[in-house]
Amino acid sequence: MAVSGGTQRMVDKNSVRGGAGLSAVVLLVGFVLDVWVLVPAMALAVGMGSVLGLRYSPLGAAYRSAKKLGLRMGVDPEPEPPPRFAQTLGFVVLGLGSIAFLLGAAALGWVLALLVAALQGLLAATGLCVGCEIYLFSQRFLAKGA
Amino acid sequence: MALRLGIGLAVVVATALLAWAWRRREGRFSEAGGRFSRSELGIARRDRPAAVLVEFSGEGCAPCVIVRDRIERLAAELPEVDVVTIDAAERRSLAERYGVKRVPTLFIADGDLSIRWRASGVPSEAAIRSTLLGPDWAGRPHPDADVRVPAPSDPVRSERAR
Repeated sequence: MAVSGGTQRMVDKNSVRGGAGLSAVVLLVGFVLDVWVLVPAMALAVGMGSVLGLRYSPLGAAYRSAKKLGLRMGVDPEPEPPPRFAQTLGFVVLGLGSIAFLLGAAALGWVLALLVAALQGLLAATGLCVGCEIYLFSQRFLAKGA
Repeated sequence: MALRLGIGLAVVVATALLAWAWRRREGRFSEAGGRFSRSELGIARRDRPAAVLVEFSGEGCAPCVIVRDRIERLAAELPEVDVVTIDAAERRSLAERYGVKRVPTLFIADGDLSIRWRASGVPSEAAIRSTLLGPDWAGRPHPDADVRVPAPSDPVRSERAR
């Protein structure tokens, strides 16, 4: 009764966590300094990881650059689909936040941005990826032949 | 600016509290009831394991791989312990029957497949070992192999699991 692993693209979990920490900091700084344009910028960065794959995420690239500069972190491989799904959720919420800013609803925009910042911070600090948990939970209900 | 700083700090503190609460719960064993059947676990009638580690897992679940590695390492040390890995998506009704809400979820059952302990998330190898082997383990890498699963009513063991 072994679990069918399949051949899936792997990503470095530490890179995902590093990218999440970076985006949390950027969103928080954007909120404190009231620079709302950072929200669509982060939406774009997260969206690139979601659409093109996490290896093309600018946030992950920033983490990898930090590693080249001497950050000593190992590689912790994990399958890509759960964190990529989480990035998609982040992209959707930040996208909605960006639309809220464009429509003049800045308060709503910041609430959505801070929600993403909190979840990204949680991922960076503990490794708990809420979006990944939602993905794994939904997998059970989408599976055929239950 | 001061208000924004305060709200930003509140978000950071709330996130830290959430992280702390999650870390306290993650991978902790708690007492559990119920009983697996041999057919559910694919254990032959002639097999008489002293204990069974049952992991509910999922495809694409990185923490499940960590738990699997840990329990397989333990099983390699302790041939009397069986390891069963179940894909919770493929066997959804079984997962629901045992209240599996997330993966990985690890059950420790005794020789007659009565469930003694369960943990969601990634328990440490030491936690799995001590829950399986009881308080006599004391960090020995190869325990003297009394692998009876103690009853959760044992106050010492209940305390350790918390």
